[in-house]
Amino acid sequence: MTGWVLIVDDEEMIRENLKAYLEDEGMGVAAFESATLALSWLRGGARCPVCVMDMRLPDMDGNTAIRILHDLYPEMDFLIHTGSSSYSLPEDLRAMGLDDSRVYRKPLEDMAPLAAAVRALAAAREVRP
Amino acid sequence: MFMLRRPRSPRPPPRRWSPVSALGRGIRFKASIVSPLLLAEMRVARAGSDVFGWDYLVRGPAEKVNYTVLVLIPLILLVVVALFWCWLQRQEALHRSRQLQRELNERQRVEEALRESEARFRDVTEAASDWIWEMDEHLRFTYLSERFEALTGIDTRSVLGLTRWELAGVDFGANPQKWRKHRETLEGHLPFRDFIYQTLLIGGQSTGRYLKVSGKPVHDERGRFRGYRGTGTDITEQAKAEEALYQSELRLRRIIDLVPHMIFARDRRGHFLLANRATAAAYGTTIEALVDPSYPLSHGVPEEIEQRLADDLAVIGDWESRLIPEEVFTDHAGRVRTLQTMKIPFSEPGANGAAVLSVAIDITEQKQAKEEVARMRLYLKNIIDSMPSVLIGVDPWGYITVLNQPAEQTGGISWEMAQGRFFGDVFPQLEGQFEQVQQAIRQGCPIKTPRMTFEVEGELHYADVMVYPLMADHVSGAVIRIDDVTARVRIESMMVQTEKMLSVGGLAAGMAHEINNPLGAILQGSQNILRRIGPGLAQNHAAAKALGVDLTQLNRYLQERGVLRLLEGIREAGVRAAKIVADMLSFSRRSEALFALVDVEDMMETVLRLAASDYDLKKKYDFKRISIERAYDPALRAVYCDKTEIEQVLLNLLKNAAQAMAEAETPVPRIVLRTAREPGYAVLEVIDNGPGMEEKTLKRIFEPFFTTKDVGVGTGLGLSVSYFIVTEQHNGRLSVASKPGQGTCFSIRLPLVREKLS
Repeated sequence: MTGWVLIVDDEEMIRENLKAYLEDEGMGVAAFESATLALSWLRGGARCPVCVMDMRLPDMDGNTAIRILHDLYPEMDFLIHTGSSSYSLPEDLRAMGLDDSRVYRKPLEDMAPLAAAVRALAAAREVRP
Repeated sequence: MFMLRRPRSPRPPPRRWSPVSALGRGIRFKASIVSPLLLAEMRVARAGSDVFGWDYLVRGPAEKVNYTVLVLIPLILLVVVALFWCWLQRQEALHRSRQLQRELNERQRVEEALRESEARFRDVTEAASDWIWEMDEHLRFTYLSERFEALTGIDTRSVLGLTRWELAGVDFGANPQKWRKHRETLEGHLPFRDFIYQTLLIGGQSTGRYLKVSGKPVHDERGRFRGYRGTGTDITEQAKAEEALYQSELRLRRIIDLVPHMIFARDRRGHFLLANRATAAAYGTTIEALVDPSYPLSHGVPEEIEQRLADDLAVIGDWESRLIPEEVFTDHAGRVRTLQTMKIPFSEPGANGAAVLSVAIDITEQKQAKEEVARMRLYLKNIIDSMPSVLIGVDPWGYITVLNQPAEQTGGISWEMAQGRFFGDVFPQLEGQFEQVQQAIRQGCPIKTPRMTFEVEGELHYADVMVYPLMADHVSGAVIRIDDVTARVRIESMMVQTEKMLSVGGLAAGMAHEINNPLGAILQGSQNILRRIGPGLAQNHAAAKALGVDLTQLNRYLQERGVLRLLEGIREAGVRAAKIVADMLSFSRRSEALFALVDVEDMMETVLRLAASDYDLKKKYDFKRISIERAYDPALRAVYCDKTEIEQVLLNLLKNAAQAMAEAETPVPRIVLRTAREPGYAVLEVIDNGPGMEEKTLKRIFEPFFTTKDVGVGTGLGLSVSYFIVTEQHNGRLSVASKPGQGTCFSIRLPLVREKLS
């Protein structure tokens, strides 16, 4: 299975732009406006190694969504893309191996670094047994 | 005085010359020398004249002749003898008579001399101020010369027959010992001199007289004590004068003893001639001991003694009074006192002629009080000088009485010079305050004029002027206090701005999410558009080919129509808006969670890299042209801070410097990055050699939205954000030093205290 990238963001144009950029980079992208929709898609058997998660979602908090996804799919890695200025990583997320380099603040002037990070994480997952 | 009394004493009875007695004596004499026999016959003849001789001769020859012859011979013999005896007797008598005559003459001469002497004696006695007295062997007065009554007014008759102690009942009662001694003298029959007593009988009506008497015992030829004889004089006036003098002296003595100051007189060698009680007390001894010539001259501290003696001698030498304003005197208890001494020279018989009277007043406490006052005055002066406020003391008419140091500086005049001048003349900017001064004094309450504006060297200054009335007794006036609040006004306005910014920050934080999403859409959208119309992506070519569009041509078209430029404009506008939002977000307070120990040098280098690759800088200025000097203090390693925030500040400063130098076209642009360790602070400095700034600009440099750059070049928030980050978020200081043409130095000071927290 080629590396899918999961994007969860309630802002449509952000979602679509990210999707467009990553697709242009040759990645398979699944984008959802809520965590619930993403979860149901995943329950349908889809697998993806990297998720770009927004924080303010209509159904739940992005951190919670990450915790749930991490519980269900421990092999999944996360990037955080948030518009909140005061966001800082909770300790339990850090415990999962996340750090400040995973946090991307909106607006992104250039999506290249994010794309590079996704590619790097996906590649790392592929290598894993 | 010791003349014989009885001037009229009976003279020895004159001896009358008679021939019979002379003959009788002559016969006796003859008989003694002729023969005891004849004498015996004479005696027989005288004893019984009728027995023989005369009777026989008369009767004559009737008797027998031989008997007659026998009788005649002895008779003739007898006659011859008698005649011879008579002649002898006559010679004897003549001699005797001459001798008697001589004796008589001698006696008459002696008697004449005696009479003369007696007369002289009488005259002297009568004329003398003394009288003569006599006592019998029972020590009772038997005689008093007339002078007694004349001098004392005491009736002589009332005295005769009395003893002396009976005459002086009161005195006897008062001084029994004196009288006992006198009586012993008299009863011992000894002479005495100058015995003084008061004649005042107990219950007597006369006033007492003071008498002085001398006397010697009188003895008769057989050495028996016959009484006393002597002289007396009335010394009442003298005694009274002496008594008065004594009383007066006693009073004076009491007075000088009452005086709490030291009063003493000393001769030129330093011996005390007189001292009062205060002096004696200071020396820790008695007056008697002090004035004793044996009192040691060296009592006390040697230097003080020397000084005092020198002063005394100077006073004697000049013969002029002198006031010693301050003199150190260590008393017997070792307490050091300060005396103010008046020294007056005077002649003292028996003290080598000259002495010095000193009156010393203990001014120790006064001096201490004076020193305390002076100290207090200086203290207060220092206090008012230490105040940053300008203080001007004025009287009710506005004339200057006091200036503190800041006032002297402001007025450009010293206190001494300004005293007595009208304050409005010295401080023209305050002229309008005279009304307030008068009002404050009248009403007795301070009057404040806040935020008065002054023009100082073309700049606007603010000052709070307060007029305080002075409320001392009888002294009225006011103090004008001026506080230059220009800096405070600026800080206040900055704080107001800061508050504004904080609310902006709060607002920004609240809506950042809402703005960042559309901004993200704009920026990401622009990026995607530019990517998808460009020739760079393989997908583009595939899609174009499928639709029969020549991608190169399309691109040329977009170029031709300026679409690419417009799209770029959208992107740039989005970037700028994002920057403003980010800056505004910086005004919100950050949590301490982001604080960490940061290596200063690492941080500096990071910022240098960021600056070199900064999009704006790269576009407009060649950062690489600027030579960078590093002056890092090895003693300063880690600083506790929010790394990204301080990096932002440093980047701001670097960009600011680069922009300023580029704009001014500084020939050899150079930036010095310097770190240093100061007490309590880590100092990070960015120093350029650019055009520098004017004072006016400097003062406003940290104000939000203040910019010297062209519109659109900067947001005007850069330095105020930096200021906010350093001062509000890091509790540090951001300062700037600059002069036109001399470059600029920005200094960040971050507290080192936090180092300990880590």
